[in-house]
Amino acid sequence: MSVYTQGVVALMGINILMALSVYAIIMTDQVSLGNAGFMAIGAYTSAYLTVKMGMPIFPALIIGALTSSFIGFLIGIPLLRLEGLYFVMGTFGFGEVARTFFMNFEPTGGAYGFRGPVGATLPMIYGWVLALILFFWLLSHSRLGRSLDALRDDHEVARTIGLNVTVLKLGLFWLGSFVAGIAGGLYAHYMFYIESGNFHILVSAMAILYVILGGMYTFWGSVLGAVIFSILPEALRFMEDWRLSLYGAVLVLMMIFRPSGIISRQIVRNIEDWIGGIFRKASV
Amino acid sequence: MFLQQLVNGVTLGSTYSLIAIGFTLVLGLLNMLNIAHGDIFMFGAFLGLSLAMLGIPLYLALILAMLGAGILAIIIERLCFRPLRKAHFLMPLLSTIAFGILLQNVATQIWGSEPSRYPQTTEVTQFQLGPVLVSSIDILIVAISIFLMLGIDQFVRRTRFGRAMRATSEKAQTASLLGVDINRVIIFTFFTSGAMAGVAGVLTALVYLQITPFIGIRQGLIGMVAMVIGGVGNLRGAMIGGLMIGIIEVMNDAYFTASYRDIILFGLFLIFIVFKPEGLFGKKER
Repeated sequence: MSVYTQGVVALMGINILMALSVYAIIMTDQVSLGNAGFMAIGAYTSAYLTVKMGMPIFPALIIGALTSSFIGFLIGIPLLRLEGLYFVMGTFGFGEVARTFFMNFEPTGGAYGFRGPVGATLPMIYGWVLALILFFWLLSHSRLGRSLDALRDDHEVARTIGLNVTVLKLGLFWLGSFVAGIAGGLYAHYMFYIESGNFHILVSAMAILYVILGGMYTFWGSVLGAVIFSILPEALRFMEDWRLSLYGAVLVLMMIFRPSGIISRQIVRNIEDWIGGIFRKASV
Repeated sequence: MFLQQLVNGVTLGSTYSLIAIGFTLVLGLLNMLNIAHGDIFMFGAFLGLSLAMLGIPLYLALILAMLGAGILAIIIERLCFRPLRKAHFLMPLLSTIAFGILLQNVATQIWGSEPSRYPQTTEVTQFQLGPVLVSSIDILIVAISIFLMLGIDQFVRRTRFGRAMRATSEKAQTASLLGVDINRVIIFTFFTSGAMAGVAGVLTALVYLQITPFIGIRQGLIGMVAMVIGGVGNLRGAMIGGLMIGIIEVMNDAYFTASYRDIILFGLFLIFIVFKPEGLFGKKER
């Protein structure tokens, strides 16, 4: 693989993680426009640990993600009282505060950015991607996953059948900020250099777009959306200077013609049945 | 010194107010966010620039940029809102983010990503009022902003069409049953919202003299902050919110560190949205 292709594939993996971090929160019918902020916390914390403290990359990633998810937990408590558009705006506000904080925070380089984190490899990134896909697959087939489906369809019904809606929302918000923290840590250690501009609101927005355009009712949608829309800008290279304009236009058209996304739950179920059928036949 | 900063703050703040009004008009009507609003601002600024380059006098360039930005807002309504009117509120939000990406890149192709300089067409005179130095551009900006803001405010409150707008934002279905042409109201609202952003774009460019295709991002976000602080859907709130933000920003730069500016503004925004989501002047509801 050329260095260029490797870069595209690595960023695709990180985009998948970011999409899954948005998906975790969307499972409770809340949409976060601040996940780039959690990504930034994970990136800067883990980079500081490996570069300045000499820690190995794996524990640094975990500590970075735990830090970002702890902050997610803290701000989740007041933010999750908000609903709909207000929650979106609240998380957006958090994301911008986090970004401008790192722009001014001198110990991690401030406006000059932070140089030096190394060590993230493609297998490491995709190890995390596979682990999280497995996690979300298990979650979607678990009792907890069913509870989340109920919560998403109707809060009131979920409450009446005895689900603790607040705890579920907070838990999934914690999970989302943890995954975004991992994505940030991997990003920092793959790019060797981070600056606050890497964690712009557009990063949060793109992560939501992957989820919506892929299909917001199954985690496979997030994965597929991230894959397709990470490759698309590269596939449009023949457009040269107009490439990003066309990319924007494709996104707008997708929203008009297929706002429900590419994959639905039904499609996933059919595929699972089909695969299950193959295995049954094989065993007979 | 303090008075001087206050004047600068009011000048800056009135452009923020114009942006915030456009945000709040659309949000109040459809309960949906138009993230590309900041990019309409940018587009208006560039349109004004191109016209000024052609030697068109400032007031005419201003009016044409206003029209152009208004039409752009109608296009956004057509592409990003109308097909998705019944969809989840998230859909138009994302669609406008995508449209914003499109606009930024089209502007980069047309005008280049290097900062473009505005020609010094208008004669700038400075007036010494006691301790305060006021330039003719400051006066122009504040006068135009106040004129437009009062105009919209009175239009919405006093005219028949304004009543239709208020009825639609209250409950679109009922308004429609009562004979209000919802689509006309929505198109008109978008046009007004875009035109305000376009004017703000030209006026801001007159002060800073240089613009890039990406200035709209921050301006749009700041407009959103001003809107929330003033109370979502509240026109007068948006005006005061914009002025407040402008004054806070200028005071912060003068007496504190300029680099902390955005932390303070977005921190304030976060505090408002968590503890007082209805804003300073909004209705008590979520």
